[in-house]
Amino acid sequence: MILPYLATALLVLATAYAAFASFRQQRDGSTATWIFPNGTTRSAQIAVGIGTLALFLALAVWLTIDARNSIRRSSRFLIPEGYVGWVRVEFQVNGAPPLPVDGGEYLFKFPPSGLLRTSSSEQYGWARDHYFYYSEKGARILPDTLPGGGGLIWGKINGEKSGSQGKRKYEEFFVGTERQFGEQTRGEQNVGSSAPATPVK
Amino acid sequence: MIPFFLYLAAGAVTGFHVYTLLMLAVLGSPVNPLELVSLAGSLCLLVAAYLSLFKPHAAAKLALLASLTIWCFYGPAIAHTVGWF
Repeated sequence: MILPYLATALLVLATAYAAFASFRQQRDGSTATWIFPNGTTRSAQIAVGIGTLALFLALAVWLTIDARNSIRRSSRFLIPEGYVGWVRVEFQVNGAPPLPVDGGEYLFKFPPSGLLRTSSSEQYGWARDHYFYYSEKGARILPDTLPGGGGLIWGKINGEKSGSQGKRKYEEFFVGTERQFGEQTRGEQNVGSSAPATPVK
Repeated sequence: MIPFFLYLAAGAVTGFHVYTLLMLAVLGSPVNPLELVSLAGSLCLLVAAYLSLFKPHAAAKLALLASLTIWCFYGPAIAHTVGWF
């Protein structure tokens, strides 16, 4: 990696130059040399100002475009009431229905098995997703918090798996208390990471 | 224009280098306080670059101070890498 060497070399040069320029005798009538100029012309100052402004504008445009591209439509995950365990969404599955859009949000309605297949593509970027338990009586919200906040959504994973039908993208997360999630992951470690999670109703 | 480009390049490259080292904290790497001091020095060097367009002598003093501040991190880092201590 060249960066540390380049940084050190430039730092040595800048230090030596600044030290020499600082302690150089400023005699009356001394002429400026090309290496130690007494200042720059007005046109050079304007050129640097315009160049700096253009740089900041380009940076602002790039950040704005990047921020817009990183935003996606929100998702609403509907999980069967009482479901505890891992749920999984498999994307780009031939023959599976596309994801419906309701109220501007993608709707992920999981069957009791916890496995949802869709022909839609996986969306990437920042969005505030919502999670619910649903039943015949209605839906109730599942909190999605940081550790220690009493949330019921944990361990979100996005991945890609190769199989007989080619590569398939998927998303998984755990539904349950933080303690249940911890016990589940510890159990997985004990028996091996390839062991499938078993949903508990 | 020589001092402008020299201070600008040195400030930008050292600043970016130290910034990448500081970003390793996201992966759990401990933060060295001297890295923060060095980053402040890099910012001062960038200020000195623009000041050099108007007041070269004052800019040189500021650049020297900024460079010495940056050396607070690079000096021990180089010495450690070379194996002096």
